[in-house]
Amino acid sequence: MRIPRLLQATLVLVGVYFGFIVVFDYILEAVIPRSLLTMYMFFVTAGVFMVFTYDEDQMRELAAPIKAMVEDPSKRGVRNVVFLLIPLLVGYGVYDKTMPSFDAPVELRTIHPAPPSTAKIYGERVNLLTLENPFRHYETEDPEQFAEYVEEGAAVYIENCQYCHGDKLDGKGPYAEGLNPTPLNFQDIGTIAQLQESYLYWRITTGGPGLPKEAAPWISSMPVWQNFLTEEEIWKVILFLYDYTGHAPRSWGAANASH
Amino acid sequence: MHLTNICMRTIAGVFAAGYLSLSAGAAFAQSGDMDAGEAVYAKRCLQCHGEDGDGLGPAAERLNPPPRDFTLGMYKYKTTGFDDDIPNDADLTRMIRDGMPGTAMPGWGDMLSEQDIADVLAYIKYFAEIEDAPEIQVDYGTQVTSSPESIAAGKALFEEGDRCTECHGLEGKGSAIKKLKDDNGDRTWPRNLTKPWTFRASNDPKDIFTRISVGIPTTQMPSFADPNSKSSVSVEDRWNIANYVASLAKTDLVVNPENFVIQGGRVDGALPTSPDDEAWATAPPSTFIMVPQIVGEDRFFTPANDTISVRALYDDNSVAIHVEWDDRTKSIPGDDKAASIADEELFEDSVAIQFPRDIPEGMEKPYFLMGDGTNPVNLWRWNSGTTDAPQTGTVFDAMGINDQQARADNGELSVSSSYRDGTWRVVMTRALTTVLPETDLQFEEGRFVPISFFAWDGSNSEAGTAHTMTTWYWLQLKPAASSKPIVYGVLAALLSLLVLIWWGRGAAARAKREA
Ligand code: HEC
Ligand code: HEC
Ligand code: HEC
Repeated sequence: MRIPRLLQATLVLVGVYFGFIVVFDYILEAVIPRSLLTMYMFFVTAGVFMVFTYDEDQMRELAAPIKAMVEDPSKRGVRNVVFLLIPLLVGYGVYDKTMPSFDAPVELRTIHPAPPSTAKIYGERVNLLTLENPFRHYETEDPEQFAEYVEEGAAVYIENCQYCHGDKLDGKGPYAEGLNPTPLNFQDIGTIAQLQESYLYWRITTGGPGLPKEAAPWISSMPVWQNFLTEEEIWKVILFLYDYTGHAPRSWGAANASH
Repeated sequence: MHLTNICMRTIAGVFAAGYLSLSAGAAFAQSGDMDAGEAVYAKRCLQCHGEDGDGLGPAAERLNPPPRDFTLGMYKYKTTGFDDDIPNDADLTRMIRDGMPGTAMPGWGDMLSEQDIADVLAYIKYFAEIEDAPEIQVDYGTQVTSSPESIAAGKALFEEGDRCTECHGLEGKGSAIKKLKDDNGDRTWPRNLTKPWTFRASNDPKDIFTRISVGIPTTQMPSFADPNSKSSVSVEDRWNIANYVASLAKTDLVVNPENFVIQGGRVDGALPTSPDDEAWATAPPSTFIMVPQIVGEDRFFTPANDTISVRALYDDNSVAIHVEWDDRTKSIPGDDKAASIADEELFEDSVAIQFPRDIPEGMEKPYFLMGDGTNPVNLWRWNSGTTDAPQTGTVFDAMGINDQQARADNGELSVSSSYRDGTWRVVMTRALTTVLPETDLQFEEGRFVPISFFAWDGSNSEAGTAHTMTTWYWLQLKPAASSKPIVYGVLAALLSLLVLIWWGRGAAARAKREA
C-alpha cells in the first residue's frame, strides 16, 4: 500500500526532529538549545513543503486528505475531533509562550577559534604562522636532552596546570567542576592532537582573555600564562602535554594538505 | 636516579619477590613487580611524590594536603589496627585506584591496569622498606545497621566529653576550637562531616567506622579503639557514631549542575533582614562550587571551603540576597581566641556578590574575575568586622582583580549576618533601582542577571587576591504568578475554533453545491 503524501511529509518532519535530538543530545552529548532546534525545524519544514508541493498534482495529493476531512460528511467524527484538538493546541501554545521564561539564555561558544596570524606575546608581535617550538628538534637530534626538557615541562605542569586540567591531563583537575567552560581534556583526540604547537603557544600565553569574541573570552578561566611563566617554560610544558598523552602536534605540512 | 640506588632496589625487588611467593597470604593477592612499578612511578607519580618518594615534588608547597612522603611508611586510610603501622595492600590499592577526593591525588583506575597498580604499590612500599605483612586487623564485630536509635546513640557519643566535637564541632562542620597540625607541622583542618564528597575514603558507615577505630595516622585525628585513650568506645558504639556521622551529610545544600539559576521569589510583606528569618525557607537555594583564585596575580592555592549556597527574595522596592557558606572559624581580628586558631595573620572573613554593571543584551559579560576595562562590575562586599569595628557592607566598582574602587558608604547596601557552628549566613539588601543607573546595576523582574561570588576565610590567610570564587551563574527575579497566560491561551483557542468552524461550514456548503 502507498503511504499517503500527507503522512509521508509528517513522518519526514517527525523523523528529522528526533534525528536532531538523538544526534545532538545523545551522540554528541551537547543538548541542543530549544531556540536553535526551532530554527532548524523551520527551515526543514519549509524545505519539505517545497519538495512535496512542486507541482499542482502533488499539491492536490497532499491536500486531499484534508479536503476530504472537511468536506466529506461521512468523516464528521474525525472532523469534530480535529477541530477540537487544533484550538486546544493553539491555546496551549499561546499560554506556553506568554508564560514568563525560566530558561536561562543559551550561550554558544567556539572551542577552537581560528587563531590570529600574529599576536602580541611578551610585549612583541609574534607571527603565529611561522612560529615553531625551539625544543622540538631535540626529539630526533638529542633524545636524552629532549627527555630532560619534557621533565622540566612536567614540573611546570604539576605546579601550574593540574588544578584544572588534571594530573592525568584528562581535564578533571580538583577544581575543574567549579569552572565553566570546563578545562579541556588533552587526552581527547579533539584537542591538542588537532592543533599545532604555535596554536598552543598562543592559547597558553594569552589564556582566556586572549580569545576572540566568538569564544566568549570573558568566561574562560584559562589564565594568561605570559604573566607567570617564561617563554621557555611554556614551550617545555607543550612538549610535556604531547609526551604524556602520546599525541603528536599537528604539523604545518599536514595542516596544509588537509586544506 | 643514582645507579647504586637502582641496584639496591633491584636486589631488594628480587628478595621481596622471593619473600612474597613464600608468604602468599590473603594480603598479597597479587604480587607486584618492582621494576615495572618504577617505570609507572616515574611517569605517573614522581611529579607529586618526588623522585625519592619523599613527597617533595615541585607542587608540594601548593598542595594541601601535600603529597604523601612514602619514606615514612605511614598511611592514612588503612584497615589494619591502630597499633599496626603497616597497611593492607588492598588499602593502598584502593586509594591508588579510586583516588582521594578533596586532595590532588586522583584515582588511577581508568589509566593503570590492576597489574600496573600492583607493580607501583610494590615500588612505593619499598621507599620505607615495608616488607612484612600487617599483623593486626580492625575488628568490625557485627555491624549495627543505621536506625533512628543508633543515630541518636551516636550523636550522644559524638558530643559526650567533647569526643568528636572538640575538633569537628557541634554540627560536624569542623568548627575548630584549636589549631591542628600533622606530624610534619603542616596545618590540617578537621573534616567537614556534612560534606561527604570531601571524605578521602567515602562516608559509607563501614569506612567511617574504620576511621574512628584506626584514627588517621600522621594527623591529630585519634583512634577511638585504643584502650589507653579515655575517649575510646566499644565496637558497638563506634558503629553508632559511624551511623550518626553518615547521617550528617547535607541533602539540600549540595551542588546540582542543573540548578544554576537562583530563583528570586517575590514577597508581599516585608523582606526578611535577618539571615535566620524563617521566610528564607520559602526561597529555593542554589549551591555552587567555589574554587581558589588561581587565575590572576597573586594566586592562592590552599582553600578551606568549597561551596556557597544562595537564595534571593524581592519586593516592589528591594532585592535581598542570602548567602551561606561553611567556614570553620569566625575570624574577628583582635579576638585572642580567633587569633590562636588562625594562620600567622588573622584577617576578617568576607564575602562578595558580583554583578555586571549593566544586564548584558547579548552573550557578552564582564570578565568573570572582577570585570575588565570595558565591562565593569559591581561588587557588594560584606566584611565581618573586628573587635574595634562593626561589620560593613560596601559597594565596589571593579574593572579587574587589581582595580577596585570602594564607594563611600552611602547606606545603599544594608547587611546583616550570623555565625553559628561553622556556618556564616549573610543577607545583603539593595534597592531594585538606584539613582545611579550609570554605575549601578538596575534590576528588572524576569530578566536573567549574571551573578557570581567571592569569599575570604580570614583564618586561612585569605585576603586581597587570596580568596575563593565561582564562575558566572544567573539570578532571576521570578515574576509573580499572573492570570495573563491563561486568558491569552483561552482567547486564542476560541478564536481558532471560530475560524475552523467558519472554514468547515464554507467547505461543506461548497461540496454540497458541487455535488
Ligand atoms: C584555572 C584553571 C586553568 C588552569 C590553572 C590552566 N588552564 Fe588551560 N584551560 C582552562 C580552561 C577552562 C580551558 C578551556 C577554555 C579555553 O579554551 O580557554 C583551557 C584551555 C587550555 C588550552 C586550549 C586547548 C585547546 O584544545 O584549545 C590549552 C593548550 C591549555 N589550557 C593549557 C594549559 C596549560 C599548559 C596550563 C598550565 C601552564 C593551563 N592550561 C592551566 C583552564 C585552566
Ligand atoms: C597531583 C599530585 C599527585 C600525583 C600525580 C599522585 N599523587 Fe598520590 N597523593 C597525592 C596527595 C596530595 C596525597 C595525600 C593525600 C592526603 O594526605 O590526604 C597522596 C597520597 C597517596 C597515597 C597515600 C594513601 C594513604 O592512605 O595514605 C598513596 C598510596 C599514593 N598517593 C599513591 C600514588 C601513586 C601510586 C601515584 C601514581 C600512580 C600517585 N600517588 C600520584 C598527590 C598525588
Ligand atoms: C583532635 C582532633 C580530632 C578529633 C577529636 C576527632 N577528629 Fe576526626 N578528623 C580530624 C582531622 C584533623 C581530620 C582530617 C585529617 C586529614 O586528612 O588531614 C579528621 C577526619 C575525620 C574523618 C574523615 C575521614 C575521611 O575519609 O576523609 C572522619 C569521618 C572523622 N574525622 C570522624 C571523627 C569522629 C567520628 C570523631 C569522634 C569519634 C573524630 N573524628 C574525632 C581531627 C579529629
